Amino acid sequence: MIVEHILQGFMYPFLFLSMYFQLLLLTSFFENKKKIKDEEGREVSIFPSVTVAVPCWNEEKTLGSTLDSLLALDYPKDKLKIYVVDNNSSDRTYAIGEVYAYNNPGIVEVYRESKQGKHNAVNLALSLTRTDLFGCLDADSFVMPQTLKTIVSYFDADEKVMAVTPCLHIRNPRTFVQRMQAVEYLMGVFLRKAFGELDAIQVTPGPFSIFRREVFEKIGKYRKAHNTEDFEITLRMHKAQLKIVNSHKALVYTIGPATGRGFVYQRLRWARGFLENALDYKDLFFKKKYGNFGMFTLPMAFMFVFYGLYASVFAVYTLSSNLFDIAKRWLTVGIHPHIPTFDLFYFNTTVMSFIVMVMLTMLVLVFYIGNQLSDDKQDFYRNFPMFFFLYPLFIPIFLGRAVFDTFTKRKNNWVLQDTKSLSTT
Amino acid sequence: MFDSKKYIFTLILTVAIFATAFFTSTFLSNKRVESVKSIQDNIAIDILSSETQFSLLGEVPCSNVSDSILSPQLSEIGDKLSKTETDRGATDADVIYLKKYYSLLQIKDYILSKKLVEKCGSTKKQVFIIYFYSNKGDCTDCEKEGFVLTRLKEMYPDLRVYSFDYNLPLSAIDSMKTIYRVKSSLPALVIEDKTYTGFKSLEDLDRLLPRSIKVQTTVNKVKAASTTSAQ
Repeated sequence: MIVEHILQGFMYPFLFLSMYFQLLLLTSFFENKKKIKDEEGREVSIFPSVTVAVPCWNEEKTLGSTLDSLLALDYPKDKLKIYVVDNNSSDRTYAIGEVYAYNNPGIVEVYRESKQGKHNAVNLALSLTRTDLFGCLDADSFVMPQTLKTIVSYFDADEKVMAVTPCLHIRNPRTFVQRMQAVEYLMGVFLRKAFGELDAIQVTPGPFSIFRREVFEKIGKYRKAHNTEDFEITLRMHKAQLKIVNSHKALVYTIGPATGRGFVYQRLRWARGFLENALDYKDLFFKKKYGNFGMFTLPMAFMFVFYGLYASVFAVYTLSSNLFDIAKRWLTVGIHPHIPTFDLFYFNTTVMSFIVMVMLTMLVLVFYIGNQLSDDKQDFYRNFPMFFFLYPLFIPIFLGRAVFDTFTKRKNNWVLQDTKSLSTT
Repeated sequence: MFDSKKYIFTLILTVAIFATAFFTSTFLSNKRVESVKSIQDNIAIDILSSETQFSLLGEVPCSNVSDSILSPQLSEIGDKLSKTETDRGATDADVIYLKKYYSLLQIKDYILSKKLVEKCGSTKKQVFIIYFYSNKGDCTDCEKEGFVLTRLKEMYPDLRVYSFDYNLPLSAIDSMKTIYRVKSSLPALVIEDKTYTGFKSLEDLDRLLPRSIKVQTTVNKVKAASTTSAQ
C-alpha cells in the first residue's frame, strides 16, 4: 500500500510534464495548421541535383525493390544519382547493384566500402558527389514516386531549410509486432510535423532524409556516434543552428522488425544511442540560442527516457499486483466467475484516472491528425489493439537495459543481434 | 525560435486541466461519501422501524413478522464503504465517520436479529458470524479471510456476516471485543457465540456452521427452482 502511494506520488509530475508536452505539440500544430495545408500544393520551380546513397550489408532480398522505387521517382533523371555502397556483404548484394548500374548508366553507380559501418558507407558516397542535395535510403526502405519532388519543394520554398525529413510508415505490416509499429509510426507522423513547427526535430531518420550539400561542408560528415549516426548529425545541425523541417506528404516505407526480439534489439540500439549522444551534446541543454530544441524538447526527451521507464515499471507493478490479488482470491476460495454488475458508484474517479483519460483523448487526437496528415490511410483500427497492449510491455525491457548499459558503460554485445545495426557497427 | 508566450499559455492550459481533474475528482468523491451516508441513514430508519416492529412482537405471533425485518442493504453498504476507503484512504475523516456509523448499524442489526431468534427461534433461525479484522498491515491473513467470508455469503445467502475494524476507535466495538474476548490476534471470528482466532479456510468455516443454515439454503434453492419451473 505504501509502495503504491509512493509510486503514485511520483507519477503526478510525470503526468503533468507529459500532458504539458502533448499540449505544446498540439497547440503549435494547430497554430500552424494553415501553413501546413499550404505546404501541400507547392510546385517545384527548379530541380536541384540529388544524390541518394544506398548503404547495404547483405541486403540481397530487398535491394532490388529499394532501387526500383528510387528509379520510379518522378524526378528528372539527369538530376538524380543513386550510389549503392556495399559494406562487405557476403551475399549477392554487390552483384545486384552491378546489374542495376549496368541497366541504368549515368544514374546508378555501385561502390564497395571495406571499412565497416553505415557512416563509412554513406561518407564514401558523400565524398564522391557534388550534387546540390544529398540523402540516403536504407536498403530495406522504399520511396513513392512523388516523395523526392515533395521534399525538394521545401528546399525550393525556403533557402534557410537545410534538411527535410520524410513521413515514415511500416511497409506491409504482417506480424503483431509490425502492426504495433505501424501504429507507432502513425503517431510519429504527427510528432515529426509538430516538432518541425517548433524547429525542434529530434532525428533526421536514415530512410530518405535529404540535406543540402553545404550541411556537410559546414558541420562535417557522418560519425559512428554510438550506432545512431542519424541522431548525432541532427544534434550537430541544431548546434550549428541549421534548419530542419518535415514533409508530411513525402512517403517512405521501411520494413519493421518482425519479431519481438528484433524489435527490442532495434530499440535498445536507438535508446542507448539517444542517451549516449545526448550526453555527448549536453551543452545544448537549456540554452536559449538553441531555441525550443535546446530549451525544451531535447531535455524533455532525455528526461522521458527515465520517466518512461518509471511509468512502465509503475504500470507493470499495478498490473501484477492486481493479478496477484486475483490469484490470491482464486487460491483461497477457488474460481467462481460472476457476471459483473454495473454500478456507477464503483467507477474510478481518482485525479489520476481523469488525467489519464484526458491524455488518452489527446493521444487519440494525435493518431487522428497523423492519419489525416499522411496520404497513407493505415489499417489503424485493426492495428491499434496491438499497439495498446503490446507496446507497453516492450518499453521497460529496452529502456531499462539502455539506461543500465549507458551508466555502467557496458559494451554493446546485443548490437550484433540488431540486423540493421550490423551495417552500422 | 524560443517563444516564451507559447510555453506560458501551455502551462496555464495544463494547470487548468489538472485543476479541473482535481475538483471533479473531489466533487465525485464527496458525492460518493454523501451517497454512502444517505444509504446508512436509510438503514438507520430500517433498523428503527424493525425495533419498533419488534417491540410490537409481544402482541403479534411470529408468523406475522415480516422477512424483511433485517436490512438487506447492510452488506451492500459494506462493499461501498470498502471502495470509499480504498479511494480516500483509511485515515480520511469521512471514511472513519462512515465506518463508525456502519459499525454501529451492524451492532444494532445484530442485537435485533438475536432478539428475533430468541423470540421466534424455531421459525426465524439465523446464523451470525462476527468478524474482526485489521487493515493496518499487521494482519496478513485478513485479506484472505475476507475472500472466504464473501464466498461463504454467496454459498449461504441467509448467513449474516458483521465485519468490524479492530482498530476503529469506537466504544461499542470495544464492548464487542470484551464480550467475545477478542485479543489482538487477528483475524478473529465469532460463530454461534464461540470465538476463533487465526485464518479459517472455507472448509473450516463450512464445518463450523450449524446444519440449520445449510438446510435452510437447500430448502430456499428448492423453493426457488420450483417457483421458476411453475412459471
